[in-house]
Formats: sequence, structure tokens, C-alpha cells
Amino acid sequence: MTETADKPAAPRRLALATVDLRFTMALAVLFGGVAFTVRDDGIAYMLSLIMVWAIFAIGYDLAFGTAGILSFGHAAYFGLGAYGATWAMLRFGLPFSVGLVVAAAFGGLTGIVVALIGRRVTGLYFSLLTLMLAELVSIVMLTRLRDLSGGVDGIAGIPRPSFMAIDFFANGNFVWIVLGLFVAVILGVAVLRRSPLGQAFQGLRQNPVRLEQLGLNLGRLRLAAMGISGAVSGLSGALLASLMMYASPQLLSWKLSGDVLIMTLLGGSGTLLGPILGVAFFEVLKEVLAAYTDHWYGVLGVIFIVGTIFMPKGLAGVVLRRWRRA
Amino acid sequence: MSGSIRTSGAAFGSAPDATSDAAASAIGCHGISVRFGDFTALSNVSLDLQTGTTLALIGPNGAGKTTLLNALSGRLALAGGRVTLRGRDITAEPIHRRARLGLGRSFQIINIFPEMTVLENLRLAAQPMAFELQPFWRSVRAWPQLEDRAREVAALVGLDDALDLPAAVLSHGRQRAVELGLALMSDPPVLLLDEPLAGVGQSEIQGTTALIERVRKGRTVLLVEHNMDVVMQVSDEVVVMMAGEILTRGTPDAVRCDERVRRAYLGGTEMREVTHA
Repeated sequence: MTETADKPAAPRRLALATVDLRFTMALAVLFGGVAFTVRDDGIAYMLSLIMVWAIFAIGYDLAFGTAGILSFGHAAYFGLGAYGATWAMLRFGLPFSVGLVVAAAFGGLTGIVVALIGRRVTGLYFSLLTLMLAELVSIVMLTRLRDLSGGVDGIAGIPRPSFMAIDFFANGNFVWIVLGLFVAVILGVAVLRRSPLGQAFQGLRQNPVRLEQLGLNLGRLRLAAMGISGAVSGLSGALLASLMMYASPQLLSWKLSGDVLIMTLLGGSGTLLGPILGVAFFEVLKEVLAAYTDHWYGVLGVIFIVGTIFMPKGLAGVVLRRWRRA
Repeated sequence: MSGSIRTSGAAFGSAPDATSDAAASAIGCHGISVRFGDFTALSNVSLDLQTGTTLALIGPNGAGKTTLLNALSGRLALAGGRVTLRGRDITAEPIHRRARLGLGRSFQIINIFPEMTVLENLRLAAQPMAFELQPFWRSVRAWPQLEDRAREVAALVGLDDALDLPAAVLSHGRQRAVELGLALMSDPPVLLLDEPLAGVGQSEIQGTTALIERVRKGRTVLLVEHNMDVVMQVSDEVVVMMAGEILTRGTPDAVRCDERVRRAYLGGTEMREVTHA
């Protein structure tokens, strides 16, 4: 095929993924800029919190917005990641970096186990199974495994990294580690989404019937999606535990699974920017609303309903559509 | 995880089966039955397609044509019987394994990836043959063979001017072309086409028929189609189905004149008139 001169001159449209990644990186630079200039402990904590939750939401969206698997049980991977890192660091005295790897492994393996148990069901039935299994994990940790989980009191004193005599117990320093991992996860997920596996995930969401007919093993794809999504979720759980220096079975609660779904939908699933915007919006609004009323969760609910009606593609959909033409 | 790619020639080429004994039968079913509850959709159907031939499957609505295609491609559980592909028993193989063994299929209802561009659609369809496990560490563009193959097939089905358009915005006829392109990406030696002309406008029928003519060369094709002109034009043989059973099989001309077939279609009306989709 040769380039023909009479080809209609279509307006140059940047690929959505490209605009998405540029915006996301700009947001990371903005976070870094704020952390660098403001140098306030509270702001650094808030930024870290948003980025940790954003990593969770991006991980969640790998299953949901990319591969089309609706999960109601991601708190299990998140919480077990937090506990995995906690046990590795507190019981075995392993360094922070190893704790993160253990967390990702815990989250990923749990995701794979859930996918294996649910390998015969799809759609909403699988979603309900994820909820059920996550609740099972939560209850077992809270009751039977009280020695390991710390019961309702949880486990306090979860360490932060120690490296070259930098005091990472200061939020202003710790935020850079979170930012580094945040950027790493964004870049990793961006590559994954463009890779053959990522393309297959998108196919799984858009048309599983056709994908299977093309010769792809859907069961194996679901396993991979749940494994990777669980691993990223586990990593974020460990970061949250380290940020709060505290882990409790609350991290395994179904409310967290609901929150991450709401954040992702509000921000816009299927993009990198969406989960981050959703998390930032959710966290900031929570701070603001909680100052006025105890019923902030109800107000958030109303905002969520209105948001999904008027912005079906979320906040990111509004932003990206406007900027796509270059 | 193997990153090796086996594209050019070997994987995409429709080399005939080594087992010369099976050269006769490309795809076949032997006494298969399919039931939905009390309803018997297929009852003891046996059918064999010789390698390189095109066989059209016709019959009134509800005769079991699509059910037969679903049984062959693995979408339905059989109540009995066997399915063979190029001399190999595939009765127990899942859909994706059958596809990898050389069974391609297009659907009556358009089954494409609506949010992807035409190029992305076709490129994704090239992946199963290229990788055993899908790589995740590099952009899909790192394997230019995939895109080359996509462009090749896009040219074949007449979509080379629409590569960068999202599939969802194409006309129905062009979405049909994407559907067919997806089925052709792996260059399957055996192809099941389920009403490739369904919903295709009058102006596009000739082009699509010519496309089917091109596609069927060097392949074994099982075609379900209502448009009798097209059936007569492209098929070597015609099988008439009726109420889950095979009524008759023969050359297009012989079937057209068969009294039982005429009766099956609206009590003897000219078949030509029953060309609704």
C-alpha cells in the first residue's frame, strides 16, 4: 500500500492512550511540585494518601476498566498486601523493599486463587463470588487469625523504609517514595495496556465471544488480569499501612471494595487518569464535607449518582475528550 | 513465557494436513445431537466437508443451521456424537483450541471490538497465532509482523482506507468486512461463515459476494446464507436442513429442483423468493 495523495485529510487525532498518559504524568509532576514547594507535613500526608489510593484504583481498573471484570472484593487483595508487608517487616525483620514485594505477591496470589475458584462463572456471578470470598477473608482474619491480624485493634508501629539516614517517618520525605512508586505503576500499567496482553484484556471486555473464537483462552486471561490487578492492589495496601504506620482488618472491609469502585467510576474507568482524578476528588471532598457534616458519605453518594448520570465516562472522560484534538 | 513469534508463512499459511488419510475430510460431524431442554435442535446430524470445497447450508428459520455451526465451533455442548477437524477428533476441545487448530468463524450478529480501530481489531486477531502466552512488557507495536498481517487482511476485505477508524463508526456493511477480516487473520484452512450477507445493503452485496469468492479459494468453507443467488454462485454443494435434520445434499442445481426442498420452503414457493435475511 502506498501513500496516496487523495487520501481524505482527517483531523489529526491523538490516540486516547497518549493523551491519557500525558495528563497522568502531568498530574504526577504537579503532585511532586506541590510536595516540593509547600513542604507541609499535612499536605505531604494528603498527597501520599491520594497517590496510594490512586495506585489501588489503577490496579482495580486493570481488572474492571481494562479487562471488564467487575470485582466487589478488591479489599481482600489490598488488605492482605498490607498484612503481607506488615508480617514481613515486623515478624521477619525484612526490609521495606522486600515487604512491598511480599505485599504484591500476597495480593496477586489471592487474586489468582479467587479467579481459580470462580473459573466456571462470569459476569455478575463472578462479582458476587469476589465479594463473598473477600468477606470470608475479612471475617477469618478478624476472628480466627486474631494473633496474626491484631484483631479489631490492628497492628501498630508498621515501619517505613530506612535509607541513607533519611528520616522517612517525616511525611515530607516519605511522599517521594510514594511518588516514585506511583510513577512506576503508571508507566508499568501504561506499557501493559499497550502490550499484546493488554490488548487481549481490552478484547475480553469488549467482546469475549469473538476473542475466544480467535483462539485466546479466556480463563487464562481472567487469571492474568486478576493476578496483576491483585498484585498492584496489594502493593498499595502495603503503602497505606506504612503511611498510616498501622494495619487493621478494616483494610479488608467490603466498604473499601465499594469505595475503590466508586472512585474509579467517578473518575472514569478504562483510563489511567480516571482512577487518579476519582481518588483525588473523593478524598478532597471527604475532607471538606466531613468538616461540615457527619453524613458526608450520604452526600458523596448523591454526588456519585449525579456524576454517573451526567458524566458516564467520568471526570477523565470530560477532560480527555476536550484535549484529544491536537 | 515465550516471546517468540511464528508469523510469516508457517503459522498463517494454510498448509494442508500432513495426514494424507484425512485429506478428504476437512471438518465433519458424526451423529451429533444438541438439545435445549425438551427441544431437540439437532438430531443425529452427520456431515462431512471435503478439503477445499465450499458447502452452503440452507433451510428455513429454526432449521438448526446456526446451531450446527455452534456445535462445530464448540459453543454448544453435544448430547451425542463427534466432531472432527482435519482428521482429528475435536469433540472435547474448547472453542479457543479449535480456533488454534485451524477453525475460523464469522458470526451472524456482528462480533467485533467496537471501541478499537479497524487496525487494532485485526492486530488483536493476529495475536493468538503469534504468541502462546501474550507478552506484557512491550507495546504491541514492537511486533511489526502483527500490523503487517493486519494491513494485508484489511486490503483483502477492502478496509485499507479505514484502518484508523473506530470499528463502531463504520457502516453495517463495513463492519461485516471487519467481522470477516477477524475470521481470516489466522488464515484458517477451515472457515465457518454464518450469514455473511445479513444486513448488507443491496449495493454492497456484489462486493461481499466477490469477497467470499476470493476467500474460499484454497479453503474449506461452510456457509450459512439465505441469499440463494449467492449460494448458487459460490458453493460447490448445498445441504438443506429442516427441523434439526439434514433433508438433502447435492449440487446447487439438483437441490434447487428437489421437490422436497420446494415443499420445505413455504409449500412449494420458488426458493428465489425466500431471500429474506
